[in-house]
Amino acid sequence: MIEMALEIIVMIKQVPDSSEVVIDPVTFTLNRGAARNVINPADENAVEQALRIKDQNPDTHITVITMGPPFAESALLDCMARGVDRGILVTDRAFAGADTYPTGLTLAATITKIGKFDIIFAGEESTDSSTGHVGPGVAEFLGIEQASYTSNSWVEDGKVYAERQLEDGVETVRMEPPCLITVLTNSNIPRNATLRMKIDAMKRGIETWTLNDIGLKPEWVGLKGSPTIVKSMKSIQEKKREGKKFTPDQMDDFVNELVSKGILKLGDE
Amino acid sequence: MSEFDVIVVGAGPAGASAAIRLASNKVNVLLVDRADPPGSKNVSGGVLWGDSLGQVIPDWEKSNMLERYVEAKGVTFLTKDSKISIDFRSKKFGEYKSGYTVLRTKFDAWLAKKAKDAGAMVASGVTVDKIAMKDGKAIGVEQAGETITSDAVILAEGANSRIAYDSGLKKKPTDEKIALGVKEVIKLPEKTITERFNLTSPKMGFASEYVLGFLDGGVKAGGFLYTNKESISIGAVISMGDLRKNNQTYSFNVIEQFKDHPFIAPLIQDGRVEEYSAHLVPEGGMSVDSVYGNGYMIAGDTAGFTFSNGLVLQGMNYAIVSGIVAADSFMEKKGKGPDMNFANYGENLAKTFVMKDMKNFSGIDRVTWSETIHNTIPAIAEDAMLNIFSEDGNPKKHLSQIVLSSALKHKDKRKDLAVDLYRMIRRL
Repeated sequence: MIEMALEIIVMIKQVPDSSEVVIDPVTFTLNRGAARNVINPADENAVEQALRIKDQNPDTHITVITMGPPFAESALLDCMARGVDRGILVTDRAFAGADTYPTGLTLAATITKIGKFDIIFAGEESTDSSTGHVGPGVAEFLGIEQASYTSNSWVEDGKVYAERQLEDGVETVRMEPPCLITVLTNSNIPRNATLRMKIDAMKRGIETWTLNDIGLKPEWVGLKGSPTIVKSMKSIQEKKREGKKFTPDQMDDFVNELVSKGILKLGDE
Repeated sequence: MSEFDVIVVGAGPAGASAAIRLASNKVNVLLVDRADPPGSKNVSGGVLWGDSLGQVIPDWEKSNMLERYVEAKGVTFLTKDSKISIDFRSKKFGEYKSGYTVLRTKFDAWLAKKAKDAGAMVASGVTVDKIAMKDGKAIGVEQAGETITSDAVILAEGANSRIAYDSGLKKKPTDEKIALGVKEVIKLPEKTITERFNLTSPKMGFASEYVLGFLDGGVKAGGFLYTNKESISIGAVISMGDLRKNNQTYSFNVIEQFKDHPFIAPLIQDGRVEEYSAHLVPEGGMSVDSVYGNGYMIAGDTAGFTFSNGLVLQGMNYAIVSGIVAADSFMEKKGKGPDMNFANYGENLAKTFVMKDMKNFSGIDRVTWSETIHNTIPAIAEDAMLNIFSEDGNPKKHLSQIVLSSALKHKDKRKDLAVDLYRMIRRL
């Protein structure tokens, strides 16, 4: 194996913890306010995959980027504490309301600004919108090869290999860098950061870029640049279920009740 | 040269207050908490009594992290069929400070953010293994085999003091010195709560402590019920010894029996359980031999700084004050040579209500956890009340006759009763 100095970029998203999100019973929208913010689970696997390549190729330099509100800083710091070298938060009021199209464009412009890269990693999809658009979208914007739904990837002789989990088996693909890889949720076990690494990450800090820094026009990003319009949302209402209690000496009543409701049919009928 | 001036372990009221105080005074401080967001594993009943937080956050009462101001305070005995209670309400709770109900997950994250805003470095989601000691002096903390150095460590890790045990600063408590707190947060509309508890406005709240004198197997437990803006915090603090003795009684049984009580169930009716939690509660006052040593100070629950006399249950105010005093004690030593033996913390703390209460009420747990309080007195009181308030057409008796005849029904407990009443008068 030839060691090479790789430039890796990982795209992540901070999402509300899906186990804590509740749907507002009136507006049917997600009440994100109540949930704590975490790194999108598949993105954690993407970061871990990048770190594993760095473990094999120590010259590797990893940059993690996210488009999000200022408090997404904590997600970037979390990645840096695990061993990522650089964190960039792209944040601007103009990005608000973006669907997957301008999000991909914004990230692609950010990557272009960063300059050289060999591999871009992204999680397969986010838990809060589950489109799976952004990773492949960025590859298209940048005009590079991509492998989706991967569970493992490595670099050998200057080529990038990725294992794709398909319905009927595993497909191993070989790509020329630069390329983009989306990583499946739970495809690896993300490492924990130590206190020392957390402190170092906080001391290094993140960089914050705005719309100005990545050279896009305001009408290309955010809500204005979004072709998707959600017309309406329906929430599935749970049916109210009724209960009735019977004691062991009321078994006749119990059976009669079931028969009268048409739930139980007696054999002789 | 240490990496930090001070490392504070634990982002609860004690640790966060210490970190805010230190960072506001340009001290280079690291606040570490095992939970992410910081403090989100912390649990308490949920009333912050007094105004000690004002010492580090002057405008704290304007914060939207506070739920309701306690205008109605209850102390209640529950027997299987009855409820005997004091329901104290006073307009004077304007001039006399009572307390605010808080939801700790939100509140503690806010406190940690205040520390960060003041300039502290806050590391969350990582558990410190132990205090790093060298030649009998604390020189920082250890985590994953690495040492982070500091001139001083403030240990405020809470009741389950794993680091203090592992670092040899505290002995594991006996069952008498620790209780198990279990708690649920039950969601209800703001208006329903205001109406149900007869509160004068949605900003005002009710807080009550209960003696649960009706539990299966005679398990001793105290209950609490506090109103938040749009939820009720309800829970029980259960004797660890009783739980162990009575291995059929699980802690969830106790809280279920409390919630099902005929005079509690209507208060939480139609509510949805939104959160449940459990935590250890220190009992019986100071739980360490010394609150300081060379290079370290111990604050909050780790030192056993909670107060309970059956009428009030407090901890957060003790934690806050001890955290602030620890911070101030560090600043007294800072820049004055290598001596970091914090005897001054012990002395400074002795001047506050924290240590005075620990001294004056030492041994009170023998009263608050007595059979007398939990079972005998509720039974006598129920009997006496029935006698006074029911009408059976017989000539009326004097109050003293009623109480005496009720007490005589519990003759077997006579000796305990006398001893405990004596203790109660002395200790309470």
